[in-house]
Amino acid sequence: MSDEEVLLLSPLLYRVLREQDGALSIEVVVGGIMQFEVRVRLNAEETESFQREGRAFSDRLAQAITADPPFGGRSVKVSQG
Amino acid sequence: MNFISRALVLGSLSTLVGCATTKGGTKTPDTTEPTPASLVEHCDDTQKAISKEADAMASPYGIDQHIAKNFPDRRVSWLMTDSAYQKFVVQTGAKNFGRCNDTACYLFAAPSAAIHGAVEKSKTADGKHDPAVLGQALGLPAKNFEGPLRMMTLDLGAQKICTRLPVDADPGVWKCQTPEDTDCFKFGGYTSGGAPEVMVINAPVADTQVAEIP
Repeated sequence: MSDEEVLLLSPLLYRVLREQDGALSIEVVVGGIMQFEVRVRLNAEETESFQREGRAFSDRLAQAITADPPFGGRSVKVSQG
Repeated sequence: MNFISRALVLGSLSTLVGCATTKGGTKTPDTTEPTPASLVEHCDDTQKAISKEADAMASPYGIDQHIAKNFPDRRVSWLMTDSAYQKFVVQTGAKNFGRCNDTACYLFAAPSAAIHGAVEKSKTADGKHDPAVLGQALGLPAKNFEGPLRMMTLDLGAQKICTRLPVDADPGVWKCQTPEDTDCFKFGGYTSGGAPEVMVINAPVADTQVAEIP
């Protein structure tokens, strides 16, 4: 986890990370009175959109994930130590 | 002379009035608590407009009745995983809790008594918490409460915090996918699990108590 690079940290409570293998993922705080993080690995299309649009794209992606945290089965709840 | 006579008469009258209001404690003590000001009064024009719309949708209910019924002490609490708290509050030096955009920071919160009660009930012999008990008490899935947590508490009245009913367009709203979902947003001031909730605008980190829940 510590080898990840934080590419973007948003006040909308999400961050975009470059993982050890170079893939991008987004970690989003979801929930209302109980907030926790879920992580979604970006697919090729999303990665390309992020590289092209930057924050505008990641804002939209984060909002889509907060609106539907399972995100079609693609999200993983961030486990804690 | 005319002026002097008038002054004397007015002087006597004011003395009489003064005696009538103070003599023998005739001024009845006010035993009724003054109605606290609406928390919407602390909102800016944008949030006031959203609140007005939300109250119209919830009519005849509204934020003031919701606060009086479910938040009588005007204290709210919410929970975060410790890792989310560290990453998005501590490490960023956040001034406000919640999801922030150009207009404000938006935070869902529940009555402190309900959250504190649920946390107390969930405490285990080893000093940790039982996610299943916490989830059941708050009407949310147990898995959401796994791992170390932080419990925040804020006095909305004392800090004069803008508070309104949450609406569909608020940042962070979790849309219900099926009628059976218990962890998504439903308009009206209650979570789909039945816990009362409000939308707190610009909840200051500096005025919020934070407790560790191992």
